[in-house]
Amino acid sequence: MRTALLLLLALAVAAVPGSLVPQRSSDPNGVTQYFDDNPELAPIVDSLQGFDVYTSVWFSSIYLLLFVSLIGCVVPRTRHHLQALRAAPPRTPSRLSRMPAHTVRTVTAADAPDGDAAAAAVESAREMLRKDGYRVVVFEGSRRSVSAERGYLRETGNLVFHTALVGVLVTVGIGGGFGYQGQRVLVEGQTFVNSLAAYDSINPGRFFREDALEPYSLTLDRLDVTYEKEGTASAGLPTDYTASVSTRRQNIPGADDATVKVNEPLSIGGTEVYLLGNGYAPRITVRDPAGDVAFSDVIPFPPQDSFLTSLGVVKVPDGLAEQVGLIGFFYPDQAKGANGAYRSEFPDVRDPMLTLNVYQGDLGLNGGVPRSVYALDTSGMTQLAGGDTGVEALELRPGETRPLPGGLGTVSFDGVSRFAAFDISHDPTKGVVLFFSICILAGLLASLFVPRRRMWVAARVGSDGSVELEYAGLARGDDPLLDAAVSGFADRHHAAVTGGPSPAGVPGFSRSADRAGS
Amino acid sequence: MSPYSRPLTLLAVSLAASLALAGCTADGLADQYKAGSAKNYVAGDGSVTEIAAESRGAAVTFEGQAESGEVIRSEDYADRVLVVNFWYAGCPPCRSEAPDLERLNVQFQDQGVRFLGVNVRDQADTALEFAGAFGVTYPSILDVDTGSVQLAFSGSVAPNAVPTTLVLDRRGRVAARVLGRIDASILETLIADVLAEEPQ
Repeated sequence: MRTALLLLLALAVAAVPGSLVPQRSSDPNGVTQYFDDNPELAPIVDSLQGFDVYTSVWFSSIYLLLFVSLIGCVVPRTRHHLQALRAAPPRTPSRLSRMPAHTVRTVTAADAPDGDAAAAAVESAREMLRKDGYRVVVFEGSRRSVSAERGYLRETGNLVFHTALVGVLVTVGIGGGFGYQGQRVLVEGQTFVNSLAAYDSINPGRFFREDALEPYSLTLDRLDVTYEKEGTASAGLPTDYTASVSTRRQNIPGADDATVKVNEPLSIGGTEVYLLGNGYAPRITVRDPAGDVAFSDVIPFPPQDSFLTSLGVVKVPDGLAEQVGLIGFFYPDQAKGANGAYRSEFPDVRDPMLTLNVYQGDLGLNGGVPRSVYALDTSGMTQLAGGDTGVEALELRPGETRPLPGGLGTVSFDGVSRFAAFDISHDPTKGVVLFFSICILAGLLASLFVPRRRMWVAARVGSDGSVELEYAGLARGDDPLLDAAVSGFADRHHAAVTGGPSPAGVPGFSRSADRAGS
Repeated sequence: MSPYSRPLTLLAVSLAASLALAGCTADGLADQYKAGSAKNYVAGDGSVTEIAAESRGAAVTFEGQAESGEVIRSEDYADRVLVVNFWYAGCPPCRSEAPDLERLNVQFQDQGVRFLGVNVRDQADTALEFAGAFGVTYPSILDVDTGSVQLAFSGSVAPNAVPTTLVLDRRGRVAARVLGRIDASILETLIADVLAEEPQ
């Protein structure tokens, strides 16, 4: 058991790097960023599998050793416990007075049962102990005695606890491989379909199969965000996010309305749809010099601060003399800071403004190579506005149109919608993990609170016809109530034998000093 | 059984499990995720699925609005071989394969084959400019707002990458699928194979 505890500690320590360095499994973009920020350190961290801590060789070996240790502990104990369950309680020790809890009661000859008084007393003790949940066996010899044991549930609970722990590990380790977790950003009015092509990114489990995706579609009708308006410190803090969605099933006409809130996911098609992020998506239209629309779309701008100053990239690949890229800041409540830079003062749309830096040249899309939608590779491009160009960045209020530098055309800011970032996950292990977790809790409670103890009652008839009753108890494990249990049973049993209640002072009742456990 | 053989068995089993869990096989989909490129689409590896006539699923029925505003229905393509391409303008492999698709469109036009695009991300103007830039003459349904065409095609032979190209037989059933950028000669063979099937 000590080995398992040490391994558990080692596991906890080994998990620490996973929270210090971004992990590929949960934050692949963070890993890319880390490589950019720490070009010298990153390859070293990577060679130590620091970006894949939870699947690394060293982490895996700790939990597999823990596994082996747990199984190596549970298997022999189960075998031993099964034998103990079948075995009768052990023979009554000859000197009960040496037991940690011991007490003596005497039944006078007058009160003693007729016939074989010792046999009758032991028989009644056997019956009472059996009713109390003890497993009992009667021994005959120089004196009659009953040996009783209870609390097998304690060890059963302990074994259930450890087995269920292994169960959780196996379920999560293997069952988790059948799940998947995908992400998709939807602007109000857009629809997500649960097929791979519709995901922005997806993290499949090891045994993921493409046909595991159950067909359904989910349209983001509206995203409502409520902000705290009062207070100086709290103003602008979001108090509620509600995504109103409508869902459709394949080959079933009609849609169902539903809402998704933070921590209130929508269950659909074997997946849980979580609302993870939000932000603004300005509607931008770019026209060529003749006035024909070259590009029109709502572009999600990821927020950069708590007041939702947002940064986005617009790529106009077709329709103009050259490809055009726009890097824009959106301020839902635009204000000018002391240094002259713009910032947002409130996260809700109050005084929205869009600023755009303009680039022309090759967007890098035609080579067939994947490009980040949230970044503009300006290496093959010329900057036309903003920054050091000498041309002011374009500033637009909703409904405004500005000419693009170089006579490329015009750009319009038509309005702004909200976008929601959804996380769609399928976890087939949930039910099984819940079952094992309940087993873990029940097993733990049983192993903590069920006392395991042995109790003996021995009867000897004295020369004067009185019966001396000896009671003794032995705790197996920690049992602070052992003394009380033994003396309590002694009182009840004595009363039963003498045929009446047995508070102190009743004739025929003599009480010797209870030996406290030692 | 000696007292030591059981722990050894356990060790062997757990080592085998560790190999399985730590994963020695490369998984394209998982690697894409781990690459963290923020490219925002699930790419295909060019893998081709062909389905024999007797094992094809049900005919796919769909309906959607094209860039021109015209409504396009699956019935419009009754008794024709149809090539369906899922794409959007900002997706690099889609741009790269567009000229090949248009060439095959022209090549098979007279044999009754029709091409149809399904744009999964863009609005009409962006899609039209793309068609203009690459000389694409076949229409595309705009599916970003309703998702209805993607929903109709999802299931066992779903469009599981951008781009995905499907070849539908004369009965409207999916007969072949290419995930990722097409290889023109492979798609040509796939179309010719379906075209060669007996009209039913």
